[in-house]
Amino acid sequence: MIAGIDLGTTNSLIGVYESGFPTLLADTDGRRLLPSVVHYGDSILVGHEARRMQAIHPNRTIASVKRLIGRRFGEEGTEGLTGIPGAPVTIPLGGQNLSPEEISSEILKKLKVIAEARHGTEITRAVITVPAYFNDAQRAATRKAGELAGFSVERIVSEPTAAALAYGLDRLQDRSKIAVYDLGGGTFDLSILQLDNGVFQVLSTHGDTRLGGDDLDQAIAALVASKASLPRLSLPDTIRLHEAARLAKETLSTEEQSTIRLPFLEGGMNIEVMLTRAEIEGACSPIIRRTRIHCLRALEDAGIKAADLDQVILVGGSTRMPLVQHLVVEIFGKEPNLSQHPDESVALGAILQGAILDGSLQNVALLDITPLSLGIETFGGLMNVIIPRNTTIPAKAGEMFTNAVAGQSGMRITVLQGERELAADNWKLGGFEIPFAPSPKGAARVGVQFSIDADGILQVLARDTGTGIEKIVEIKSAVEVSDEAVEAMLAGSLEHAFEDMDARIFTEARLKAEEMLPAVEAALAQLAGELPPDEIAGIRHQTAEVTAALQSKETVRLKQTLANLDNATQSLATRLIERAMKIS
Amino acid sequence: MDDEEIATAYRKLAGALHPDQQGGDAAAFRELGEAAAILRDPARRLKELAGISASHPFPEKAAELFSKVAEILQRSDALIAQTGMASNALTKALLMAPLKSLSLDLSSVQEQLSTWRISLEEEMQRIDSHWPESNPETLSHLADSFAYADRWASQLRERELALEAILG
Repeated sequence: MIAGIDLGTTNSLIGVYESGFPTLLADTDGRRLLPSVVHYGDSILVGHEARRMQAIHPNRTIASVKRLIGRRFGEEGTEGLTGIPGAPVTIPLGGQNLSPEEISSEILKKLKVIAEARHGTEITRAVITVPAYFNDAQRAATRKAGELAGFSVERIVSEPTAAALAYGLDRLQDRSKIAVYDLGGGTFDLSILQLDNGVFQVLSTHGDTRLGGDDLDQAIAALVASKASLPRLSLPDTIRLHEAARLAKETLSTEEQSTIRLPFLEGGMNIEVMLTRAEIEGACSPIIRRTRIHCLRALEDAGIKAADLDQVILVGGSTRMPLVQHLVVEIFGKEPNLSQHPDESVALGAILQGAILDGSLQNVALLDITPLSLGIETFGGLMNVIIPRNTTIPAKAGEMFTNAVAGQSGMRITVLQGERELAADNWKLGGFEIPFAPSPKGAARVGVQFSIDADGILQVLARDTGTGIEKIVEIKSAVEVSDEAVEAMLAGSLEHAFEDMDARIFTEARLKAEEMLPAVEAALAQLAGELPPDEIAGIRHQTAEVTAALQSKETVRLKQTLANLDNATQSLATRLIERAMKIS
Repeated sequence: MDDEEIATAYRKLAGALHPDQQGGDAAAFRELGEAAAILRDPARRLKELAGISASHPFPEKAAELFSKVAEILQRSDALIAQTGMASNALTKALLMAPLKSLSLDLSSVQEQLSTWRISLEEEMQRIDSHWPESNPETLSHLADSFAYADRWASQLRERELALEAILG
C-alpha cells in the first residue's frame, strides 16, 4: 500500500486507496487538514497544537516552511534569515539550527502517525506532492523530508497534475483539454492537460513558487496596519495581526464586510478596524493579477487557445476568493469548474498516483512533464537547452559538442536548469569534467546525453567519440553544496552584518527620492499645459518638502514626505498612462 | 498524418509504454518521446531526413531578419528591466509611452517573422509533393530556417507576454 500525501504550505493531508476509492484519513478529532506548523518546545508539537503556540512562542514555532525548502541563503524569499549566501537555508528554532527538510519531516511524521492509527497497519511507502513549478533542488529536498520521516518515497508528483487525476477519475472515457488553476497558501501553478481514455497527458505548466494565500494575508495585514495607523508591531503582535487578516480574508469570501478586533496589543493598544470586500480586493488584486502571465505562457506552450479548453478547474484554498474566480473568467473566458474540493483534491490525486504505482488502479496512465528546461553551459556562458521545458518524462535527448579552443584537453560539463539565456542566470545542478586527447579546434567531439526517469531524476552521460571514454553522472540533489564552494561564496560575499540599520533605511529612501524628483520634473514637462495650476503648486510644495528632508538626513521625515509626494502625483501618473494608451 | 493524429497515436502508445504501467518499458517510452518530438518539429524532421548534423551558412532571409529580431529583443529587455526597477508609480507611468511604442514595433517584427514562417511552410509542401526527389542542401537550408524562425518566434512571444503583463 502506498499512501498519498499533500505537503502543503498551510495545511497537509494524508490518505490511502481503499476498496477502490481514495480515502483521506482524519485524526482522532475527525480533522483531515493538519496545519503545516511545527513548534519546538519541551517536545515537538505539530499541527493544531503548534498553531496555538505560534503567537505565544514565535521564536520556537514555524509555519509555511515549504516556502524555504530547497532554497539557499540570499535567494528571493530568504530575507530575514542570516547565513552564508549560497549555502542551504537553515532556520534557528528553539536553540537549534534546522533545515527546512528536517522541519517538514516532523509534519510528515505526524501524518504517518495519524494514518497508521486510522488504518491499523504500518505505512512505509508514500507519494508526496509538490508545486509543479518546483525545481530539482526543491523536489530533492521534499523527497529527503519524506525519507527523514521514515517513508520510502515512491514518487514526487506535481500538485495540479494530482488534482487533474482526482478530477478525471470519474471521467475516464472523456477526451478533453483541461486547465488546472492551483492557488495555494504559498505557491501558484497553472497546468494544461489532455485527457484521453484514461491517459492524462500534461501539455504544459507554468507558475510561481512564491505566490499564494500568505502574500494575500500580508497585503491585508498591511492594509489594516495603515487604516489603524499602527506603529511597528512586536513579533507576537505581527503574528496575531496576520492571523486576523487571514480570518478576515476567509470571511470576506462570503460576506461583504468584516471587523477585525485585536485587543490587548503590546503597550495596551486595542484596535478595531472595519474591512469591506472591495477594500481587500483592492489590496489583493495586484498579487492575484500576477497569475495571469503564467496562464498565458502555459497556453502558449501547450499550443492552444483559451477557447480550446473544455474545463478550467480551480484547486487550492485561495481560489475560494471571489476575486480569483473573476480573474479566471477574465483570462479564460469561461466559468471555472468548482467540482473539486479546493483543499482535498491534490491529496486525493496523490493517493491515486500511489494506487497506479502499486498496481491497484489499472488502465490509468499519467504522463507528466519536466517544468523547467535542462541544458548545459556552452562556450561564452550561454545555456544550451538539451531537454526543453514541458517535455514528457521519462525522456532522453542528446547533442554533440566540440572543443572551442585548440589543444584543449577536456571539457567541463555544467548542468543547468531554467529558462534564461545566460548560463549564470539559471540554476546550476552540478558539473563534471570529461577528458579528451588535445586536438585542433573543432576536432574533438563529445556526445552529451540527458536522461530523465519517471521521478524526474536526471542522469547525464558524456562520451568522447574519439577515445570512447564515458562518464555517467547522476544529478541527485542540487541543494547540497560542498564546503569549498561555501568557502568561496563566503570569500566573495559582502559583509552586511554590521551595517547600521538606520543608515541603510535612509539610503534606500534617498535612492527612492533621487529617482522620484527627476521623474516629477519630466512628468510636469510633458503635461505642462494640461494641469490645473493649484495641482502644480501642490506638487511643487511636496517636492520642496522632499528636498528639505533629504538635506535634514532624517529617515522618518524623508519617508513621510516621499509618501506625500507619491500621493500628490497620483493624478499625474494616471494622465501619463492615459496618454500612453492612446499611442497606436 | 496531421498533428492531431500524431498526438493521439502518441498518447495511446505512451499510455501503454509508461514505466508505471504493467508491461511498461522506460527505454521504449523514451524512444517514443524522442520520435514524437522529431515529428512535431519541422526543423528536426528535415534534419533527420537529410541526415545532416553539421551547420551550414546562415540562410539569407534569416540574416536579414536577425538584426531586426536582435534589436527589438535588446530594446525590450532593457525597457522591461527599467520598468521592473522603477520604485514609484510616476517613474513607471513615464515609461508607459516608450513601452507602448515598443510593443507596436515588436508586433511588426513578429508579423515579418510569421510571413517568413508561412513561406517556409509553402516550401516544405513543395518538397513534400516531389518527395523523394530532393536536394540535401535545400533540406538542410530549410531545416536551419525553421529552427531560427521558431526560436525567434518564441523569444519574441516571451517579450510580448512580459509587455502585456505590464501594459495590462
